[in-house]
Amino acid sequence: MTLQKSNRSTPLSCAEFQEKLPDLFAAGANGHIEDPALLDHLSTCENCSALVRDLQYIADQARQLLQPTHEPSDDVWKKIQESLAADPSYAEPNEK
Amino acid sequence: MDVQGQQMTEPKTAPGLFKRNPPIAGEAEAIERAKAGDAEAFSKLYALHKRRVYTLCLRMLGNVSEAEDMTQEAFLHLFRKIGSFRGESAFSTWLHRLTVNLVLMHLRKKGLQLVSLEETINPSEEDSPKRDFGSRDTQLAGSVDRVALERAVASLPPGYRMVFVLHDVEGFEHNEIAVMLECSTGNSKSQLHKARLKLRELLRQAESTPQDNLKEAAL
Repeated sequence: MTLQKSNRSTPLSCAEFQEKLPDLFAAGANGHIEDPALLDHLSTCENCSALVRDLQYIADQARQLLQPTHEPSDDVWKKIQESLAADPSYAEPNEK
Repeated sequence: MDVQGQQMTEPKTAPGLFKRNPPIAGEAEAIERAKAGDAEAFSKLYALHKRRVYTLCLRMLGNVSEAEDMTQEAFLHLFRKIGSFRGESAFSTWLHRLTVNLVLMHLRKKGLQLVSLEETINPSEEDSPKRDFGSRDTQLAGSVDRVALERAVASLPPGYRMVFVLHDVEGFEHNEIAVMLECSTGNSKSQLHKARLKLRELLRQAESTPQDNLKEAAL
């Protein structure tokens, strides 16, 4: 998603720019900006430019975490097996 | 299975879900055998998915004991309901949705049942990311490794962490998260944005703070 172009002529403040960020980053756009008013602000504001870059970076880096890093203890499988043994319906062929 | 009013059906296949959760070698055969009640197939499916399910539980709950209990619950539900899996979505997507619903139900049972998550997932003002319009920031990009990010995510307030893990890590859409958390789509977007802002704050603090103190820095 990209934000609709605004018709305003006065430059955006940082607060106004940052209020638009949640929508800017929603719906898979990940901070891709086309609105000239927003681009104008970014071209002159190093603080907001760094913020956008960092938010894009964090969203990108988050995908690293999809790969699991933690392993449950062996007790978990033991308890599952005990439950399976205690309830024969788990091991019966499913009718669906 | 009906988890907190949500039928445990397969999610509609969203673009990229199979790409994000590609089929695993031997998985399809194990699923079919498990549907027929083959205990060894259950063991195989557990071995294939235990780490991702447990990691998901741990990230959502932040507690080893509870995460192990919910991992056990998730696989028991899986084994009971595997016959309803029709292969319309990636198996891991189906399993993760089941797990998320169980964890959320668990959290509601712990004390959130009378108050909607719409309200309770909003952290206090103290936890909210600081707004900082004036200062010149150093750039974060390129400086964060996986361990640092993992630590920062663990330090997030629970509501932020939940939305961040579901959207940015697990790949659920805002409309799906809104249904799962019983909040509005706008609320999910807003929480995600605040979560990323808070993460940025935590990661920047971590660059100048010893790692062991990251949790303290989050308070």
